[in-house]
Amino acid sequence: MRPEDVLKRLDAPLSLRRRIGYVTLACAGLAGSGLIGVLWATEPGLPPQTKAAFAVLVAIGLCWAAFGGWAVTRRAPLFARDRVVAGWMGLGAWLTLTIGALVITTLRHKIDPSAIVMLLVLGVLAVVNLRAARRARTALLRRKDELTQRHAPDGDDAER
Amino acid sequence: MSDELLVVRCQLGEREAFAELVRAWHGAVERYVGRMLAGHDDDVVQEVWLAVFKGLPRLRRPDRFAPWLFTIARRAVMNRLRDAYARPEAEQVDDLPGRDEAQDVVDRETLGGALAALPLREREVLLLFYLQDLSLDACAQICGVPVGTVKSRLNRARRLLQEELVKKGYEG
Repeated sequence: MRPEDVLKRLDAPLSLRRRIGYVTLACAGLAGSGLIGVLWATEPGLPPQTKAAFAVLVAIGLCWAAFGGWAVTRRAPLFARDRVVAGWMGLGAWLTLTIGALVITTLRHKIDPSAIVMLLVLGVLAVVNLRAARRARTALLRRKDELTQRHAPDGDDAER
Repeated sequence: MSDELLVVRCQLGEREAFAELVRAWHGAVERYVGRMLAGHDDDVVQEVWLAVFKGLPRLRRPDRFAPWLFTIARRAVMNRLRDAYARPEAEQVDDLPGRDEAQDVVDRETLGGALAALPLREREVLLLFYLQDLSLDACAQICGVPVGTVKSRLNRARRLLQEELVKKGYEG
């Protein structure tokens, strides 16, 4: 087997599209569950069947989020650049969830303190995650520059 | 370009660095797998590379790439050889003093050919120490045993190899 064959076979399991897909899945699952949870919490007098349906939808969303999280740590792990992209996507999902939750609660004049706490916690997690990803990437870029300079031939000498 | 720089570029997500890393190390991985399994096995080699790329983002010491790579390769090989490797280790011999005759005269080609006749544990340390030029510490890390055990296995491996070569009529 030639190196090119190895690379060809690695293309599918490690494709960027697949990794971004997993992150999207996780974000969408989390945001979807959150919005359904807010709807559920702000809707009075729901019949038991509707509550059950909401519970199932929330569970499905959380399962997709857990699957996406597992996939990007075990199946197709994120490299530094991917982690930064994933961090921004997480922040985007949190913003979507927050705006949706605020619209729902404002329209119904029911701002639940526990929902605000949950949104704040998720927001802090999204920001911390993005910050950690950016710091990790910066550290790697710095190391790359150090190593590149160490191994680069002396430009002045080369010209002479 | 150093391995550490290549690994750092891979960890950053540079696609072309992956290709360079595979080109740089594919031969060594293929040789190790082939000699440990006494024959080429593309599936195991592929399994090794897949595990390498899945694990690369979590590799904390890019400067220790080679031992890490061979730890993964060893795991993949051991999965194939689980039964053979599970047999009890042969009785260890006392350390032999210094460099023996086999060490001095056996070149890499001859060594590679005779390796297949050696027990797995001894073959493994010979491959890592002599053919991959890894340090005793790295061999110990890869095999998951103390350095003293690696030395002991190396001594025994050299003795067995010498016997094997004599058996094959190699005079040195």
